[in-house]
Amino acid sequence: MAKGTTEKIRKKALGLMYALLIAGFGAAAISLVHWQLVEGEQLKSAAMEQSLRSTGLPAMRGTIYDATGTKVLAQSASVWTVVLEPHYLSDNDNLRRIVANGLSEILGLDAMDLYERTGEAGSYYDVVERKVETEVRDRIVELMNQNEISNGIRLIPDYKRYYPYGTVASNVLGFTGNDNNGLGGLELYYEEELSGSAGRLVAAKNAFGTDMPFEYEQIVEAQDGYDLVLTIDETVQSVLEKYLQEGIEKFMIKNGAVAVMMDVDTGGILGLATHPNFDPNDPLTIQDQNLLKEIEKLPEGDERKEAVANAQYTQWRNKGVSDLYYPGSVYKMCTGSMGIEEGVITEESLYTCKGYEKIEGMKDSIHCWNHDGHGTTTFREGLCNSCNPWFMYIAGELGADVFCRYREAFGFEDSTGIDLPGEADSLLHAREDMGEVELKIEAFGQNFSITPIQMITASAAVANGGYLVRPHVVDRIVDKEGNIVKSADKSYRRQVISESTSATLCDILRQNVASGTARGGYVSGYRVCGKTGTSEKVDKHNQDLIKDPNARMTYIASYCGFAPAEDPKYALLVFFDEPDDLNNGGYTAGNAIAGPIFSAIMQELLPYLGVEVMYSEDEYDEQRDTVSPSVAGKTLEEALEEIEEAGLEYDIVGSEESHKKVTEQIPEGGASVPKDGKVVLYTSGYDVNNTMTQVPDFFQMDLANAVFEAAMNDLQVTINGSRDDDAVVMLQGIEPGEKVKKGTVITLTFGSKVNTDVSVILD
Amino acid sequence: MPSGTARAGTARGLQRVPARNHEEPRSTPPKRRRRRKIKYQLFSLGEGLDMPLFVFIMVLLAIGLVMLFSASYADSYYRENNSYYYIVRQGGFAIAGVIAMLFISAFDYHNFHRLTLPIAGVTILMLLAVLLFGRVLHIKEIAPAEGEAVRWLNIGPVQFQPSEVAKFAIILMFADMISRWEDRMDQFMFGVLPFGVVLGVFALLVFLENHMSGTLIIGMLGAMMMFVGGTKPRWLVLGALVLLGLLVLYMTRGGGEDGGPYQMGRIEVWLDPLEENDATWQTRQSLYAIGSGGLFGVGLGQSRQKYMYLPAPQNDFIFAVVCEELGLVGALVIMILFALLVWRGVHISLHAKDKFGMMLGLGMTLQIGLQAALNICVVTNTVPNTGISLPFFSYGGTSLLMLLGEMGILLNISRSANVEKT
Repeated sequence: MAKGTTEKIRKKALGLMYALLIAGFGAAAISLVHWQLVEGEQLKSAAMEQSLRSTGLPAMRGTIYDATGTKVLAQSASVWTVVLEPHYLSDNDNLRRIVANGLSEILGLDAMDLYERTGEAGSYYDVVERKVETEVRDRIVELMNQNEISNGIRLIPDYKRYYPYGTVASNVLGFTGNDNNGLGGLELYYEEELSGSAGRLVAAKNAFGTDMPFEYEQIVEAQDGYDLVLTIDETVQSVLEKYLQEGIEKFMIKNGAVAVMMDVDTGGILGLATHPNFDPNDPLTIQDQNLLKEIEKLPEGDERKEAVANAQYTQWRNKGVSDLYYPGSVYKMCTGSMGIEEGVITEESLYTCKGYEKIEGMKDSIHCWNHDGHGTTTFREGLCNSCNPWFMYIAGELGADVFCRYREAFGFEDSTGIDLPGEADSLLHAREDMGEVELKIEAFGQNFSITPIQMITASAAVANGGYLVRPHVVDRIVDKEGNIVKSADKSYRRQVISESTSATLCDILRQNVASGTARGGYVSGYRVCGKTGTSEKVDKHNQDLIKDPNARMTYIASYCGFAPAEDPKYALLVFFDEPDDLNNGGYTAGNAIAGPIFSAIMQELLPYLGVEVMYSEDEYDEQRDTVSPSVAGKTLEEALEEIEEAGLEYDIVGSEESHKKVTEQIPEGGASVPKDGKVVLYTSGYDVNNTMTQVPDFFQMDLANAVFEAAMNDLQVTINGSRDDDAVVMLQGIEPGEKVKKGTVITLTFGSKVNTDVSVILD
Repeated sequence: MPSGTARAGTARGLQRVPARNHEEPRSTPPKRRRRRKIKYQLFSLGEGLDMPLFVFIMVLLAIGLVMLFSASYADSYYRENNSYYYIVRQGGFAIAGVIAMLFISAFDYHNFHRLTLPIAGVTILMLLAVLLFGRVLHIKEIAPAEGEAVRWLNIGPVQFQPSEVAKFAIILMFADMISRWEDRMDQFMFGVLPFGVVLGVFALLVFLENHMSGTLIIGMLGAMMMFVGGTKPRWLVLGALVLLGLLVLYMTRGGGEDGGPYQMGRIEVWLDPLEENDATWQTRQSLYAIGSGGLFGVGLGQSRQKYMYLPAPQNDFIFAVVCEELGLVGALVIMILFALLVWRGVHISLHAKDKFGMMLGLGMTLQIGLQAALNICVVTNTVPNTGISLPFFSYGGTSLLMLLGEMGILLNISRSANVEKT
């Protein structure tokens, strides 16, 4: 090679090389610096953003316990969402068939539809079924294992809410939606506490949307929700609901009912039963069978949908806190307290009731329920008579300023702050709108609207020495380790009346039950205080009159009381909205309708709550119960001796030889037996079939007939409720038709039809 | 330039210190013999192969295989249900390639003088076969289409890419022609026309496969070799202008998806690579990968972008995964390795025993440099996306075998070249 040529080539080649390296690699290097160092962070976050998917890890919702801390009212359990990932199945027809048939069999879904869905090649997420329980999940896992399916079906953990007691306390508990979010009641009110905080699983996903097989996983653990321990006792709640239901059926209540029991010292609600209610496990289903039938009669379409929605809305409502009503004569315990507290009257003050009262500025006069007038009575008698003019007089003496001050002090102007959603605001005449007429009508509980929870809170203040408590249903919030996160505020808000005024009122109200207009709430063996109320739904009536000039007045029958009278612990308010008096035998009054229910509830619950039996001196001797001695296991001879000593009769079933052992006794030892009742002793060698008896239907029987009927059926009776001459059996402790052992004691609660206290009749 | 240092002088027996053009060092051992003239013998071990070049090749190949495994791992797992699909195949090609390289390095490159026409002829036949079966007969079993491109030839179980061979064929032909007509290269009839015709035929055939990058590489390689070989630069400038005109016509022709110019989309992507649409996907994902790497990278094997975000990360965009996992530092190290390889290749070529060796070596070295530079420029969006594989890194059997074969030739050139062997 010629040297010159070589040198030329060398220069050109080196030039090319340098050009290539400098231009090519140099430019690329500059680009790299730009993208990696200058734009790096931005690109990195863009890359992260497209690849990081975070999946929510559901937190387990807290459990709701009743006051005993052992009964579970609401609980979450693990369930699973079954998701198809058709992308991994679509190209394998055999696999598609296995998956479609398998899932169809396990979940009861249409196999053809599932098969179609497994063919969607582009899809990675197709929800097949939600909230599948663990055993079903296990079957799906087995299906996957058997067929070696690793991709294509996903089981995503979730939780489902269970309410073991069904409808019990449903309006307090509320319910949860598909996403486990509280949609009503405590579930809504305590959403934040119950729900905990969902965790997140941040995982890098590939562009197919599935997890990258390793690394890049960051878990923020879900924080399970706190548990609630309620003041509501399942036993109390169930008893309230049982009798509320019975009252609704017996008295044909058209517009729902409420029974609420409160610890008067703490404000804790022991039970809050409302009707209609629902099953939180299945909140959409209409519980009221009659209403459901009516809805089903409607033609398919908007009208029916609306009716269903209305019915659902109504059954989800908590009538105890969300509905307003006229308290009626129950409110007289408040007006009376004001009078005594302010000293404008004493319990011995006298006032003459003419049967009506005129108010200045009002054309018509206001009648007392007793049109003939109660004559001259003391305040004690006036309250026991539920005499309207007496309370109009008190209000007149107090004046609107003082009246309104107390009205506010009793908590009627503010919401109570109960820990339930949807508490309604009361509707009261403002002070400046309150003339003579408004004042005097409010005095006996008409023409202003409050919630039942406000009424029972005020009554608790009358009962507990004058202290206005804070009503609440959650006693404490605890974490999973049992540490108390928050406790209910059990302090009282203020003292409304003095202890002595409270004591005076309690004594008058005790007498009211014993011999006054609240006799319907008499509870055998206990000294209870009570006040009846029969509110006229005047506002509704006025509306009805526009449509129909012959529209009848409708009523709310209520009864509010507390026990034991000496040192009240538990207040109970029962109210029934619109008894159908045309069909139920003419019952409208609080005493007649709410009284027996109040009585039956108290009769059943006071022993449970540990309130001692105590007979008042004015109770009839024959109604006193005694306690059955415990003789089971003893010889017949010893047993007979003890029973005679207790002043009781006996029956022996089986062998009567004196050395035989008593194998069983009815009533059981320690149970109450009517005075002069008997104890049935079982020994040995008797025919079991011969020992049972069927409970007859005592409804509407008077006392004599009921006692006779009971004796005919080898049953013993405890008499409860009204002792008026016209009283008839309203409720019986054991359902008619039930088979029980002979000698069983059945509680019969009597009610009277006497309309003692319709508050006001505006002529 | 090797100088007869003591170290060179005490070289092992097989190594010989070239005598030509060099002053004899004083310490030259007395045993030193005159360099043998070896011409046209089948095997030539010459004076030993160039160790730096060999090391650069093996280091790049090793890194390339590791990165291919890392880059292909996820894609391979999800698409082939086997993470090792690509690495096992590429590993096989690499082993075969290295064996072939070592074998060829002992095979006297002068034999290629005689092999020039057969190789060129077979290449043209294969290119024609691709077009015949792919474009005309549409026999997918023999020439499968890949989108718009038809560049594969199935010969039995072996898949073959004739355009990769074409790159070598053009280098070989030009080296042969330049070495034959070295004194008449400045004449149009020698230095331009025959080259133009050969280049035109190859480029057209590859272009018809719709293999843009192949056409580009072949064209640029040809031009570079002509330039070095002595063709008057004005002809090259003229040719470049003509080609540029054709390119503009091609780029702006209609028939694109939105009715607009078909190839203009690539330009639009180039100008705004981060705009979120389907067209920018590959480039955008590449830049996300590069950006995620930062200075030191996310760590070997830790790329996220290879999880189906970056399409076919084992192919043309493997360097993006390199940037993501090894960072700017790792990328620069690899670029430096490529530069060293190119430098060493050019160095060896310039000291080749004859013009044929020089031009052959230069052509092959420039091919590697050109492909590496273009690939990295594409991956970093420095130039519009054309689809060029990265030598020693990108997955592809034909390409790797051809590359290693070419390196074998270069090593053989180094045996007889006048370079210091270490």
